[in-house]
Amino acid sequence: MRSRNGNHYFSHRLCSIILLYSLSLSASEYLISYRYVVKDASLYNESLMISHAMKKCSGTSYEPLQLESNGSKNLSKIISLNYEIFIDYIHKLGLDVQHNEETINAQNKSTTILTLKTKCFKVDFNDNFARIAPLK
Amino acid sequence: MKNRLLIALLFSATALLSFETFQVVKDTNGSIIIEQVASDRQTPKIVESPVCNTQDQSVEPLLEGEEELFISVVGQGVAPMNTFSPAQAYALAKRAAVADAYRLIAERVRGVRIEGQDLIKNMMVKRSTIRTSVQAMIRNANIVETTFKEGLCEVEMEITISRTDFAQ
Repeated sequence: MRSRNGNHYFSHRLCSIILLYSLSLSASEYLISYRYVVKDASLYNESLMISHAMKKCSGTSYEPLQLESNGSKNLSKIISLNYEIFIDYIHKLGLDVQHNEETINAQNKSTTILTLKTKCFKVDFNDNFARIAPLK
Repeated sequence: MKNRLLIALLFSATALLSFETFQVVKDTNGSIIIEQVASDRQTPKIVESPVCNTQDQSVEPLLEGEEELFISVVGQGVAPMNTFSPAQAYALAKRAAVADAYRLIAERVRGVRIEGQDLIKNMMVKRSTIRTSVQAMIRNANIVETTFKEGLCEVEMEITISRTDFAQ
């Protein structure tokens, strides 16, 4: 018969295994959103939001992008190093365009907002590359 | 009594005749002419409005069957005043130009919603307002060429669309 301490350690190990397993499942999934505002033909505001997915995303990946990671596993850092490539990639995926223009007594004002609605991305980290693919 | 009635009738007839009437006439060229017809039979005042002749303009092609529609636009953007370097100015101007190009594509594909309002007081235009808005989702647009000259960035963008790109 096992001791009380032994049983306690067993349940502790089991819980930690389950926790690590669940973390490993969602660790490579990120939620990314992007938005920028252009006012009167000039860039006014730009924001890129990156966060870990708190729960597992469903869907299959498509149109992947490979970025140089140089051994890093920090997605924000990898994206900041390859910012222009990633922004071009986001544009290709599709952005919502919202444009409003107002002309009062022949004086024109315009606002254009381009948005990537929060999307789940699957990220695989290799030694030198990070493979990013949205889930559909 | 009869005289009073006759005078009243005469007054009402003159009042009716003093109202100005307008007549809208379509010219042979297709332009609209608004004619103000005066009651005292004077020569009519003609105001010509610059209206585009729809027959001369090229009609937007329609997407039919398995056909693909090719759209090419040029977006323009300028850099903000408070930039630290020409490289930053270029990057920011390009972003603005890309947004403008996306807007132009959206206008071509989805169309523009236009609202106009004119406030006229004492026969004078006090406030003239025109509001336009566009909403669309654009993907797979390609940048063909980017030029940056004297603070203005121009981005030439192309997109090929087919019926399958639209949600059924």
